[in-house]
Amino acid sequence: MTDNTAGALPGRNIAALGSASAVQTWPSRYLSGKNVLVATLIVILGFLAVYPLAMLFYGSLHSTPPGMAGEFNLNGYRSIMNWTNFVVLLNTIGISLAKTIPSLALAVLLAWIIARTDTPWRDKLEVLITLPFFIPPILTAMAWGMLGNPQVGLLNQVWKWMTGATVSPINVYSYGGIIWHMMQYSTPFLFLFIVDIFRAMDPSLEESSRMCGASRWRTFRNITLILMLPALTNSFILSLIRGIESFESPLFFGTPAKIEVITTEIYNSINHRATPDYQYATALSFAIMVLMFVLVVWQWWLLKGRTFTTVTGKGYSPNIMKLGPWKWVTFGFCILFFIVTVVLPVGQLIIGSFFKFFGFYSWDMLTTEHYVAVANNAEVWRAFFNTMLLGLLGATAVMTLGSIVAYVSIRTKWRGRRLIDALAWLPWMMPGMVLGIGFLWAFAMLPGPIPIYGTIWALMLAYVALGTPISVRVMSSAYAQLAYDLEECSRVHGATFFQTMWRILIALAWPSFAVGWVLAFFGIMRELSASILLYSVGSEVLSVVLLRLWSNGLAEQVSVIGLMMMLLVILFRWVQLKLIKSRISTL
Amino acid sequence: MAAIVLESISKYFGTAAAVDNANLEVETGEFVTLLGPSGCGKTTTLRMVAGLEQNSTGRISIGGEVVSDAAQGFFIPPERRQLGMVFQSYAIWPHMTVFDNVAYPLRIRRKSSQEIKDRVTNALRLVEMERFADRPAPALSGGQQQRVAIARALVFEPRVLLLDEPLSNLDARLRTQTGDEFRQLQKRLGITSLYVTHDQGEAMALSDRVVVMSLGKILQVGSPEDIYRRPHSREVAAFFGSPNFLEAEVKDCRREENGSYRLDLDGGWKGLCHASGELAPGSKALVMVRPENMYLKSGDRVYGGGMSWNGIVKESIFRGANRSVSIDTAAGLLHIELNALSNPRPGENIEIFAAENSAWAVPA
Ligand SMILES: Nc1ncnc2c1ncn2[C@@H]1O[C@H](COP(=O)(O)OP(=O)(O)O)[C@@H](O)[C@H]1O
Ligand SMILES: [Mg+2]
Repeated sequence: MTDNTAGALPGRNIAALGSASAVQTWPSRYLSGKNVLVATLIVILGFLAVYPLAMLFYGSLHSTPPGMAGEFNLNGYRSIMNWTNFVVLLNTIGISLAKTIPSLALAVLLAWIIARTDTPWRDKLEVLITLPFFIPPILTAMAWGMLGNPQVGLLNQVWKWMTGATVSPINVYSYGGIIWHMMQYSTPFLFLFIVDIFRAMDPSLEESSRMCGASRWRTFRNITLILMLPALTNSFILSLIRGIESFESPLFFGTPAKIEVITTEIYNSINHRATPDYQYATALSFAIMVLMFVLVVWQWWLLKGRTFTTVTGKGYSPNIMKLGPWKWVTFGFCILFFIVTVVLPVGQLIIGSFFKFFGFYSWDMLTTEHYVAVANNAEVWRAFFNTMLLGLLGATAVMTLGSIVAYVSIRTKWRGRRLIDALAWLPWMMPGMVLGIGFLWAFAMLPGPIPIYGTIWALMLAYVALGTPISVRVMSSAYAQLAYDLEECSRVHGATFFQTMWRILIALAWPSFAVGWVLAFFGIMRELSASILLYSVGSEVLSVVLLRLWSNGLAEQVSVIGLMMMLLVILFRWVQLKLIKSRISTL
Repeated sequence: MAAIVLESISKYFGTAAAVDNANLEVETGEFVTLLGPSGCGKTTTLRMVAGLEQNSTGRISIGGEVVSDAAQGFFIPPERRQLGMVFQSYAIWPHMTVFDNVAYPLRIRRKSSQEIKDRVTNALRLVEMERFADRPAPALSGGQQQRVAIARALVFEPRVLLLDEPLSNLDARLRTQTGDEFRQLQKRLGITSLYVTHDQGEAMALSDRVVVMSLGKILQVGSPEDIYRRPHSREVAAFFGSPNFLEAEVKDCRREENGSYRLDLDGGWKGLCHASGELAPGSKALVMVRPENMYLKSGDRVYGGGMSWNGIVKESIFRGANRSVSIDTAAGLLHIELNALSNPRPGENIEIFAAENSAWAVPA
């Protein structure tokens, strides 16, 4: 700093300091680091979200597949307007509603058991209950395909053997099967939301109701549930949207029974027709976007003005209800949920992998030949490495992008931050299938020398786009827990912006980053609907190979690969829980 | 040389002014307190000095050096201003030990590890926290966190120490004790301090000078006694305790040697009092008399100057150390604080008086 004598004119000081680079003049203000950063983010997010969406619209009007000369017309929209597609629409919404309502009830019940009762080993039960959410749906879909197969399904065999019946009671290839499979995912998903709300509620709100003479049950209905209503509404719509986007469940259990939903209809029109009908698929994709948009607006409208004032984030110890001997009933209920959603399908994969033929379970059929076959399958190995590479790089890219976007949109007052936030959130409305089609068009429209389509980078871009809304969310809530003071205090005591980022913000937020990273990795490993459209020979990923082996009738090898993936899931989830426990809870 | 100079600084959030044209000079070694009700712009002022907020207009200098000048678009970021700051929340970084927290400003300045060790130990000794150096920061009580925050702010000998309500998160007993200790430390080190509080008692007890703020404006700057006994306006007067305000007409106004004015008043009663500015004869004045400066007239004591009132006791409340009495007089309802042992009963007719030097007039 300049050494000032008492008589120095302020003006002279300015000049002296100005040469020390502190002056912000007009041009430097516009070229400053933050404007460059904001512009870069807008370009990246625009490419990931707006560009494919715009290309989707373009493609829906274009008469030929991506990359071919054609004309513009409304044939796509005309061809989707028919009775069959009306049924498809009804199926989509109906199935999603039919799985969301019981899932929500089940999730509230489970969350209440875990957060508000003295059921034994609640913390361990919580880990078990949430595990299904992290298993790739394609694995359980295949496992349930084997368990509930009307001819040779294990459950049907056991039932017949126990009762002597000759008719199979279970057929997963039905509406019931689709809903059943979806529920295994939406219940833990909703549970994760709701259990925190139960925990964060100020217990005095309920206690004062009891003091006013309301019974326990009355208090639960009139106070607890009503206070949770905005949050429940929010989770309901979230789950509904995810149900509409769902691909695996209707693909495995619906298509064989001729029950189609929008995602499978899009998929079939490209993959299961003599000539893929891109205009039809694209128009349908655009239509589903409109449906999503309506839902999101509805959600926004329902929640507007409602605040979650009961959820203070303070460390209350919530009211714990003593259940007496009933606690063993609730305990058993949680264990039952775990058995049905995890033990049964994983058990089926284990059994399936060791018997010569799926469905024929006798001692002389035991074999390890499927393990050998998988180990010798070059395509499986390639897909495995592709998946790992995409998972490692993709999760890192998603989380880095998410960390920066979340920082800009919630920690700064920079111009353009709202636009960035909105752009990052946009892919959230796009089902993987739709984003996949959007990217097909987007890549085809890129200028020649940028060969993305056909490489694993095509998949990477789709994964980053699909993962960004979640990573932004994870990092936003991590930053929100850190008071601004922590950063400002560092600045005042001499640290620059970047020193503060590194020593304070990153040092404090990295556990959340790691947790989000694992989540993003799971997301990539399980992704099927965009991958199935964007992969090509050489860039297959595990989920695509699994689906291909399954359609070729190699259920036994599928089981082997599925088990490998399960091991990964358990390993990563374990690391993630360790991190959450040891790092995040202490902050 | 003034350590901090604020020249007509303002801060606008949108169109609302959080700070409106504030001027202030803080001398080196001085302890100056910004005092005002919550939301009046104290924190915003402090943050503009720190560089955490950019002033919309005006100029800020620290140690004779301009750090921000809105007219020229000139702004030095906080890390280059060499200040120490204690935040209301203390902002103790939870991922570091006490030692690391205090060492942070030195590490940023790339001091040698020996120097860091010496200076951190010294700073922790100043606040009597050296035993806790290896504690993880989250394992500290509120009072201990506050001490660590002060040590961290002092460790690199900043030009100015800024404190934003540092005592407000402590319980009442600890608050007085910590405040006194901090004031002693500040005097010993002679460090210039700009302190923010909404607690009048704290401001009175700690500061060399108090800056009274309201709605983003500085109302008055002066020593605690000045502010308390010789306010410039009704607003400042009313901010401390709940004084009696009596309307009266000015009969005569003379300038005193010390610069204040001596008034003759008539409001149905007559008396003498002082004021900071000239009030023309015939104009209206509000006379402030604090309840604790009024006495019960008794026996044959002689009362020089001042003013007195007759009235009926309406209410008398015993408060332990003293007794609050309201009296209905010709000048309105007057509240006085009496010695708890005197006991005027409701309905009794009594006479009270206030000495000339305890009555103070402000323009009506
Ligand atoms: N970042 C901000 N954005 C908008 N208004 C603000 C912001 N910070 C402070 N204000 C407003 O400025 C006024 C002064 O706030 P502040 O300086 O924090 O008051 P104090 O510290 O005296 O309680 C308040 O009305 C407050 O709402
Ligand atoms: Mg404040």
